[in-house]
Amino acid sequence: MRHLFHVTPSGWAGLATAAFGILVLPSLASSYWLSVFTSMGCFLLAIAGVAFMYARLGMVSLTQVGLMGVGGWIALRLNHAFDFPFEVNLALAATATMIFGWILALPALRMRGLYLALVTLMAAGGLEIIFATFQFPNGGAGFWGVQTGSGAAFRRPWIAQSPQAYLRYVIACALLGFLCIELHRRLQPGRAWALIRRSEAAAMAAGVNVTLYKTWAFGIAGLLGGAAGALLAGSLGLLDDGTFRASESVMIFALAVVGGAHSWQGALIAAVLYKVLPALLNIWGVDANLAFVIFGAGLLHAVITAPQGIAGQVLEGLGRLSPKRGAKDA
Amino acid sequence: MILARYGNWLLWALLMAGLIGFFGWGGRPQMVGLFIASGLAVGSLYALAGIGIVVLYRATGVLNFAGGAAGAAGAMTAWQLTAWGFWEPLGWLACLLVATAITLFYGRLIAPRLAWRETVVKAVATLGFALIILGAISFLWADDPRSISLPTDAIGVRLLGMRITATRLLLFAASIGIVLGIWLFLARTTIGLQMRALANDRDLAALMGIPILRVETIAWGIAGLLAGFTGLMFADLIRLEPSVITFMVIPGIAAAICGRLENLAVVLIGGLSMGVIENMLTMSPVLRGVRPIAPFVIAALVLLYYQRGQRLTFGGRD
Repeated sequence: MRHLFHVTPSGWAGLATAAFGILVLPSLASSYWLSVFTSMGCFLLAIAGVAFMYARLGMVSLTQVGLMGVGGWIALRLNHAFDFPFEVNLALAATATMIFGWILALPALRMRGLYLALVTLMAAGGLEIIFATFQFPNGGAGFWGVQTGSGAAFRRPWIAQSPQAYLRYVIACALLGFLCIELHRRLQPGRAWALIRRSEAAAMAAGVNVTLYKTWAFGIAGLLGGAAGALLAGSLGLLDDGTFRASESVMIFALAVVGGAHSWQGALIAAVLYKVLPALLNIWGVDANLAFVIFGAGLLHAVITAPQGIAGQVLEGLGRLSPKRGAKDA
Repeated sequence: MILARYGNWLLWALLMAGLIGFFGWGGRPQMVGLFIASGLAVGSLYALAGIGIVVLYRATGVLNFAGGAAGAAGAMTAWQLTAWGFWEPLGWLACLLVATAITLFYGRLIAPRLAWRETVVKAVATLGFALIILGAISFLWADDPRSISLPTDAIGVRLLGMRITATRLLLFAASIGIVLGIWLFLARTTIGLQMRALANDRDLAALMGIPILRVETIAWGIAGLLAGFTGLMFADLIRLEPSVITFMVIPGIAAAICGRLENLAVVLIGGLSMGVIENMLTMSPVLRGVRPIAPFVIAALVLLYYQRGQRLTFGGRD
């Protein structure tokens, strides 16, 4: 039990960052930055899911943003169909997306490496077209619930009506997501994943149900992605199919690798690159197309020079500075 | 015995006939024929994109997401040259050259630095390159409706009572010719033999003294040429829009999956079938809206079919 709740230095840093995000950030940000940070928080949660799957199991999911779309669609659908409070919509959307992730994963899990990645890419391509064809519910009639003109309102959580409070809410949810991953890592599933990562054959010989634990991991990524989509729906009130293109899913994975999949810092860096950097470029008046160029060059540079991602590079640099680590190495 | 050997082909033929019959039921035969013909043209595009991906992947281990972007850059160059009043064939040649140059640049200067990374990371890196190209061409050519038309568009060929443009026939013939050509190249030439050796086992091939850099450069060159040709044809037949041409690689990958990233003939047939089924969906009032989904669904089903009866597989390299 003592080990279960032990907080590592990196964990303290994470809690401090979350505290900063909840206590200080909302009061500093203008309304433009509030919306940027809120959607960054949503994508942070989704990135946490992809990065976790890649780091723990070496599984590559190229459909995370598609899963966000599924979660967002369900949340909007429930919001316009019933009178549930936001939390119920969020929980149901996340659970349903988790189940969707399982259904997607079960046949895909026999495949490994590149093939798994390609199957998820096909899923992302399919979801993109479904979203583009049927759009997201905005209060219209029927199952797809789309009406032209302005849509009906989306109910936010009652404790987070203002943009500032909603940003706090999103950051708290992201923190919960990271804690959920960490909890899994320290319990039975974490040990199973570590064994599977080493060798699937050894894991199976040791009595680990490989399929179950791989599916479980896919489910967690789906849960986080679905929750992220529902939170994004709450932030904007409506969703646009352009957000959930297959290319965005690939981009999210790429950024998770660039940031560094093995630590929470890496996921944070990825989310900042994905949402804050374009917003900054927008303010500085850089052409959106040139932003693509900068992005692509940064991606190439990071992939070539930093195998553990930017976070790995920074942490390694810090480790070299610290005298304790130096003594241990010597 | 015969069933075991040709069972897959039989199943494929039955499925295709069934789907065409199902969606085409009640339509005029000529109409169905036209849909099939234009489906074959679209399918050829998917197949060509897939073939470029497979040839490169087998020889170098890089799954190239940037082929579409290179094709888009080539097509835009061709449009620009024609708009400036240059002789049209010069534009087409420039398209092939630009796409090949861009692809070779990546293959020679960037890909070797990533040779030791996982396959997926290499694939993601090419995506970074695709973004750079896409950003640059969207910056150079502002968003405007443009089009390229080849002289073959004006020539119609009457076939079984249908009028089919020569471009579609040319594209269809080219895709078959290219598969045959690459197959002969791989089977008969020394470089082709070396490429197959690399595809089989890179480390062993390197130990045996196969000039990896040269073989890989040739593979990147072939991929670049194919990207340029596909980009030009896509711009003519479907749309000249950089982002659309760039993300044509995703259905291309779907076609490549049909051939398990190795069998070129199956990639060709897979791509053609995807195009035909996608076009046949137009005749269904329910599925018309989601018809671009066809390649992804087909690729997913094909993968599942390949995996049937297998338990978890271990060993080997991804």
